Amino acid sequence: MAGRRIVLTSGKGGVGKTTTTANLGAALAKRGSRVILVDADIGLRNLDLVLGLEKRIVFDLVEVAEGRCQLRQALIKDKRFESLSILPAAQTRDKDAITESQFEAIVAQAAQNADYVLIDCPAGIEGGFRNAVAGAKEAIVVTTPEVSAIRDADRVVGKLNDRALPMRLIVNRLRPEMVRSGDMLSVEDVCEILAIELLGIVPDDAEVIDTTNRGEPIVLDPAAKLGGIYDKIARRLEGEMVPFTTFDSQGFFGKLLGALKAG
Amino acid sequence: MHQPVPHEVAAPAAKLGRAIVVTSGKGGVGKTTTTANLGTALAQRGARVALVDADVGLRNLDIVLGLESRVKYHMLDVLEDKVSLDEALVPDKHSPTLVLLAAAQSREKEDVDTEKMRDLVQNLREHYDYVLIDCPAGIELGFKNAVVGADEAIVVCTPEVSAVRDVDRVVGLLGNRFKPQLIINRLRPQLVKKGKMLSVEDVNAILRLPLLGVIADEPEIIITTNKGEPLALRHEGETASAYHAIAARIAGEDVPAPEPELKESLIDKLGSLFGGKRA
Repeated sequence: MAGRRIVLTSGKGGVGKTTTTANLGAALAKRGSRVILVDADIGLRNLDLVLGLEKRIVFDLVEVAEGRCQLRQALIKDKRFESLSILPAAQTRDKDAITESQFEAIVAQAAQNADYVLIDCPAGIEGGFRNAVAGAKEAIVVTTPEVSAIRDADRVVGKLNDRALPMRLIVNRLRPEMVRSGDMLSVEDVCEILAIELLGIVPDDAEVIDTTNRGEPIVLDPAAKLGGIYDKIARRLEGEMVPFTTFDSQGFFGKLLGALKAG
Repeated sequence: MHQPVPHEVAAPAAKLGRAIVVTSGKGGVGKTTTTANLGTALAQRGARVALVDADVGLRNLDIVLGLESRVKYHMLDVLEDKVSLDEALVPDKHSPTLVLLAAAQSREKEDVDTEKMRDLVQNLREHYDYVLIDCPAGIELGFKNAVVGADEAIVVCTPEVSAVRDVDRVVGLLGNRFKPQLIINRLRPQLVKKGKMLSVEDVNAILRLPLLGVIADEPEIIITTNKGEPLALRHEGETASAYHAIAARIAGEDVPAPEPELKESLIDKLGSLFGGKRA
């Protein structure tokens, strides 16, 4: 049976599509699924960097489309996970170097040998977006709790609706203390505006910047809080009912500060 | 470095204003926030400033300026001769010499006629000292339309490997014509000190661009952005000062470029007090 083909998209850039694709892919692979990650951001690829695989690229998506190599030759296996590989985007080409039907065919072929094909969509709603979406049967919309990100996500949800793609939402970079102080929209606010089913909530964590720069998915670090969160999202994707983590706890320092203030 | 162009506020359009595109390749590094704050800071100096949102279909500059309920017409209405440029320009709430040309929200980038876009920016340059163009993410058609009328570029980069790579690509695409200058955004001095974030030197060792300024990562930016009140409306505070210093540098003044300072937060102090790991 062919694997699931899921595009991760957002409209707005920099909300964490690539980081989410890498970590969710790693979490699914860690659970035993065969996963192929496709970087659809031709000309501005980054998925290879986030996974630390940039030095191992030989062929890319455009070369597969042009028939210069086989798909299996272009796939880079992530040595840390037996069943995870990526198909890198071309860096020195444009988005129009590949057509929607070529992209769709490559993703369909990838799905023959994988349980999950996750497509990392470029920012925006131009040709690169249309390619990435053409290959997918499901969508994960990634957004941050900011007015501008939500407005862009709303526009994307409309476009995905037009294509009748089933979609779920990941709210990324939540800062619970800012929600509490009324300076950030809550997950409930975001879900109410976008009106799509929630798949995951990922808190803002400076650790992500570091692991991303070093090319190490955070799910590999057993001490990292976020690792468990991506594992939960992976399990929800697999159909398991997993309760959402609440971020009400103020943590040690918050409580300490509160106690000091109260005192 | 670019040649400083002195502006004269009261002067009629004897001399063309400067058209500067704010771009990055990667999305979410702070192009729109930077555009709003630099526009505000330049206007606070008395310059006449037009901000152009080139992100057709995914506009946000109106939100960051708090003008979303005042937008009646947009750039495509002007390009398609439905309204005059004057009718489409939205006066800013806070700065009397600042105007916004909003992008169309329910249209596509393909709807923009690139040549007409060039004429539009040229037209704005005849009436404003500065035309700042907020470029969409990516390097597709939206990027091409945003840069077509500009003669200078500000590239915004965060201290992240992926952002640096994208900026490097964009600088390559821009070539020398735009004299690109760099703003490093969202620096966290604490993380740099711990070796967990690229430093200003690290970023510019790769990009090698004239540095316009460095902006620290601070929650206040998210708050002011959500509220639609650019931080540069304030005249105190490290980040507001950084925007004003960048505006002065754009205007040709030789002001020093202070980097965000490492401040020890109360939490960090408590952490070290209790022997916690938070440095």
